[in-house]
Amino acid sequence: MISEDDRERYDRQIMIRGIGEAGQEKLKQAKVIVAGGGGLGSPASIYLAAAGVGTIRIVDHDIVELSNLNRQVLHWDKDVGRNKVESAVEKLSQLNRGVKVEALEVTISEANVSAIVAGFDVIVDAMDNLPTRFLLNKAAIEHNIPFVHGAVFGLEGRVMTIIPGKTACLRCVYRGFTPQEKFPVIGVTPAVIGCIQATEAIKYIVGIGKLLVNRILVYDGLKMKFTEFTVKRNPDCEHCGKSSRER
Amino acid sequence: MSIKINIPSYLMPYTDDAEVVEASGSTVGQCIDHLIKQFPRIKKMVFAKDGKLLDYVSIYADGDFIYGDGLATPVKDGDELHLFYVIGGG
Repeated sequence: MISEDDRERYDRQIMIRGIGEAGQEKLKQAKVIVAGGGGLGSPASIYLAAAGVGTIRIVDHDIVELSNLNRQVLHWDKDVGRNKVESAVEKLSQLNRGVKVEALEVTISEANVSAIVAGFDVIVDAMDNLPTRFLLNKAAIEHNIPFVHGAVFGLEGRVMTIIPGKTACLRCVYRGFTPQEKFPVIGVTPAVIGCIQATEAIKYIVGIGKLLVNRILVYDGLKMKFTEFTVKRNPDCEHCGKSSRER
Repeated sequence: MSIKINIPSYLMPYTDDAEVVEASGSTVGQCIDHLIKQFPRIKKMVFAKDGKLLDYVSIYADGDFIYGDGLATPVKDGDELHLFYVIGGG
């Protein structure tokens, strides 16, 4: 049951049709992992914490650098040189004392990804590289955990939600790797995409609305245009296709 | 056949800032070839040195993503193609 304090704190969102006190209780019980405490992970985790998601695990191995501060709004001038996860836990805990925020300072790898995501209700993909996104996508499918993908480049972004076993996965649509290089970005782009990711996670947890499944949303900030592309499951997908299930 | 190819902002520097390029052809591949004929600098952003579509580039056409092995997919007059590339930043 939610408390009197919760009733007051979340009053405006409890008013939303489909959320109510029952939805707020679902959010309180939910465990969300935010993989990456940078550009996407900052807005995603801030809004998940503000909404009252009960447990948020932030995973990141980096330290805060000055060049992060144009977009990674969880981290401030005073945090330069500090572990990102420590900085994130401090801010999120101050934002909402009712949320349990876990810090995991590790590099996500094939060896540890399964243990990192096990037991969580939703994975928010806030990584900065494709190989790790693919590791998370595969682990999400293996553990049957919904996976909310987001990515940015410059003033462009993408979002897609994956429900394992039911909808197309990231590997169904992304077949190759881009060259690993420093990418251009301004904070407003991950702000838009990270907030959509948080919206998807909240909708999934509460069980309302229409998820961004079997479609990828492409945001182009320069044109100020959102375009939606249909994504179909690839029967030969190495992560969710028939052959992967037989292995 | 006249086809519209939508160019993402990322690739507009290679099309003299054109957002949409008119191209002709009866397959997706022919339309992309015509795009490259008009804007040769975009070729390196679409095709690898071996002449195959880069594995992080796809073409969205009529509800489907088309990858390197699908360039022979037919198009019809008035179709729209979208150049789509993988991004991984966060």
